[in-house]
Amino acid sequence: MDTHTEGGGQKGGLGGRLSRYALVALLTWVFVAPLLWMLSTSLKTNFDATRQPLSWIPQPFTARAYSVLLTTESETPVLRWFLNSIFSATANMLLVVATSVLAAYALARLEFPGKKVLFGLIVSTLFIPPFLFLIPNFLIVSGLGWLDSLWAVIVPGAGGAFGVFFMRQFFLSLPRELEEAAFLDGANQWQIFFRVILPLARPGIATLTVLTFLGHYNDFVWPVYVLFSPERFTLPPGLAILQGAYTTDYPVIMAGGVIASIPAIVLFIFAQRHIIEGVSRSGLKG
Amino acid sequence: MENRTIRYAGRLTPYLFLAPYLVLFGVFILLPALYGLWISLHDWDFLLPNRPWVGAQNYTELFTPGSRDFTDFWQSMGATGLFTLFSVPFLVTVPLFVALLLNQKFPGRAFFRAVYFAPYVLGVAVVGVLWRFLLDPQIGLVNDYLGKAIPWIIDVPWVWVSLVGMTVWWTLGFNAIIYLAGLQDIPRELYEAAEVDGATRWQRFLHVTLPGLSPVLLFVLTVTILQSANMFGQSYIVTRGAPANETRTAIMFIAETGLRSFRMGSASAMSYVLGLALLGISALNFRFLRQKEM
Amino acid sequence: MALDGCDRSSTRSGAQGNVITLSFWNGFTGGDGTYIRKLVDDFNKATPHIQVRMNAYMWIDLFQKLAGAVISGQAPDVAVMHVDDIPTNAARSLITPIDEVARALGLEASAYTSRVVWEGGVYRGKRYGIPLDMHPLGMFYNKAVLRKAGLNPDKPPRTGDEYMAVLEELKGKGIQGHWVTPFLFTGRFQFETLLWQFGGELFDPEGTRATFDSEAGVRALTWMVDLVKKGYSPANVSQDADYIALQNGRNAFNWNGIWQINGLKDVPGLEWGAAPVPRIGTQDAVWGNSHQFVLPRQHSVDPARQEAARTFIQWMSQRSLEWLKSAKIPVLKSVAESAEFKSMEAESQFARQSEYIRFPPAVAGIADAMLMVEKAVSQGVLGRASPEEALKAAAAQATQVVQHNRKKYGA
Repeated sequence: MDTHTEGGGQKGGLGGRLSRYALVALLTWVFVAPLLWMLSTSLKTNFDATRQPLSWIPQPFTARAYSVLLTTESETPVLRWFLNSIFSATANMLLVVATSVLAAYALARLEFPGKKVLFGLIVSTLFIPPFLFLIPNFLIVSGLGWLDSLWAVIVPGAGGAFGVFFMRQFFLSLPRELEEAAFLDGANQWQIFFRVILPLARPGIATLTVLTFLGHYNDFVWPVYVLFSPERFTLPPGLAILQGAYTTDYPVIMAGGVIASIPAIVLFIFAQRHIIEGVSRSGLKG
Repeated sequence: MENRTIRYAGRLTPYLFLAPYLVLFGVFILLPALYGLWISLHDWDFLLPNRPWVGAQNYTELFTPGSRDFTDFWQSMGATGLFTLFSVPFLVTVPLFVALLLNQKFPGRAFFRAVYFAPYVLGVAVVGVLWRFLLDPQIGLVNDYLGKAIPWIIDVPWVWVSLVGMTVWWTLGFNAIIYLAGLQDIPRELYEAAEVDGATRWQRFLHVTLPGLSPVLLFVLTVTILQSANMFGQSYIVTRGAPANETRTAIMFIAETGLRSFRMGSASAMSYVLGLALLGISALNFRFLRQKEM
Repeated sequence: MALDGCDRSSTRSGAQGNVITLSFWNGFTGGDGTYIRKLVDDFNKATPHIQVRMNAYMWIDLFQKLAGAVISGQAPDVAVMHVDDIPTNAARSLITPIDEVARALGLEASAYTSRVVWEGGVYRGKRYGIPLDMHPLGMFYNKAVLRKAGLNPDKPPRTGDEYMAVLEELKGKGIQGHWVTPFLFTGRFQFETLLWQFGGELFDPEGTRATFDSEAGVRALTWMVDLVKKGYSPANVSQDADYIALQNGRNAFNWNGIWQINGLKDVPGLEWGAAPVPRIGTQDAVWGNSHQFVLPRQHSVDPARQEAARTFIQWMSQRSLEWLKSAKIPVLKSVAESAEFKSMEAESQFARQSEYIRFPPAVAGIADAMLMVEKAVSQGVLGRASPEEALKAAAAQATQVVQHNRKKYGA
């Protein structure tokens, strides 16, 4: 597999390579240590978690924190929250990708009256602090009868301008020659979009997909506001209950963090190849 | 660029492309934005029957020294400004550096990418709680390592170091990934040509990499400024505004005003003032970078 | 913490005929949740025709969710909230008057251990809350630390002079004996306690003006700041670090909420005691709060459900002893004087303060003004302003806040 490197294949001397490895190792430790500490603490007893001197190895090992989280089953169905989170993040992501790719294409490539004004309007909403939308949207969602349902966490967020902005920038970076050729071959706008543009846009879409999914999965303000039955919770409002409950019980709080992190990390490990490698394989460079 | 726009679409086609998004945009962005404007002109609590019209008072009070919110609001705007000022340079450059590192071929590269991106995946709710624990002056791992009692989450200037540091740790992966994608878009031939011309590594970075990245850079810069200016979770969870509200950011103060004190009119007015400030800064930012590009 | 594997009767089908299912919201997460759930389960077993379904949220989220539930007609039938949140929620029409229930249950002031806890549920002449418990501040101490410093671990100091003498003694042994935090938990609670002890008030009784910058207030905050200045407390103590240091033997005294009792019981090998907060000022007074039952507003009133809710509240308040095991003190004299409660050692120490527990005035929106108290404490304890300056600026702002609240919620 041919990957382009910054130096165009420059290898550097042995010394350079060693110092690069040292750098990577140091950086990696800075990134991994807090996560390991979270894991280690989650396996400690509450007393052990803050006992001086601090120790990386739990003494004794205990899964108490996890059983606290998982056995309070009927009122705090962690598994259910987890599934709700995955479901609503997926649904929101599909909605965002489908609508913003279409709209972004029109804004990037098509000519129509009012285009500049419309794009300016859409982009300017990026600058409004999202908090402003919270209360009006709460009332709108309430009017739609969506309070305490997953609709409330799936749909409103899809109005955000980020996806459109992001995909438009992406489309602008695509070469036009293929579209022009397809047009000369007699394809209409829809055919060009579906047969030429979409395949080219795969890496952009993949990136948007992952970012949207994660953004939604991690949103901790809105769901707390609009969901109130535990069986309809997503993870953030659920974890808020658990974290609020155990203010100084660090093992339980850390265990909650571990549980919430696993799906997101797994998703990323699978998706990252698509995002980055996808970019290099897609023939972007024409 | 405009003259190259494809003109051969049917007249309705653009609107059909736009329609699904515009419905969502209209109902959940445009309508609430206007609704918010309306709310900001009242002393508004949606649960009270009486929501008196106050005109521009919610705005003028923000600019009147001695009014209830004047000190707190501008202190919080200051906190947001400081955080943006401190964090953006790091959030833009450190990920670029990491992206350059990860863009080279070495074994286990995919693993390291995953490692650096992992914190972003966790979300601020988890990251905040984790760092609050790590940085606790008395029981935290960081001070344990340093053998000192640095008030990371309690006193200036440490609180700023903590907030910026944890934000870099948390979001580095996001920007790095965008940079990585951008780096791989730079035609290899450009590097080869530069090498033939005898350009040094640094010159190649300056004359090939940076110009090649400029659209990505603009994107990253804009998004990062916006995110920093909307910072909320880190202060809310880690420092809780300490010391004495000095790290209470604008969004955090607005949220307190709107959701805890139920003064939604004032909170909306503050949101608009913050939004206008952001729009202004971003416009400057665009203009500045565009000029440089030419 | 034990894994409370109590079986929650999951088979709730069966006779669907006349079963009324009530929903019950509160902020009892974690430790408290275990106890309240047990009670709710017992209630469900005892009354087959009324089944209660409980949801616990963080307190701060509870009010946001309650607003959504009330406006969408999905309000819970019964809820619990803190006494100082009642006026605001009553003014915002999220809860309804409960006088009738109190009358039906035959509740009256003379049955209660504290005047303020009974009156605290009243807003503008109408009762909105029925007291379940009180949870005051108290003094925890580490017996091993006191012994190590050559002090009697069974005779904690009672007065300001005694307290300072002990702190000095501890300091000589290298122990900082009273850690002061600049946060709500529990720096602000300590300030309020001291303010009242020195004869001051937070606000005037009608809630039109902040008065915590009085001489009493300055003395209270100065006392706290001096603990840091004189080295009895480290500077920059983070939230809960005082309590954790008590467990680790690095701190001797911690004025903390009664809710910490069960946490301390779980620390292996820790020898600790509890006592009333010493009288530093000129009179006895201590910060406290109270959980009270409230009835959220419904779109349509169903007498059968109301009746069921009344039954539930009555049943629960009669079994408060079970609930007090979650570390609370009783509100009913009959319970406070019972042998069962007296056998609860630490809780009984806290209950000695019942008569002089204090709350902020019952006016709507008071929590916003209390934020200013927090600000002053924080600035003072961190040494960013002198106690006088910090209190003066905060009180001026708090006065603006209560004035605005009067306009907003009506005077």
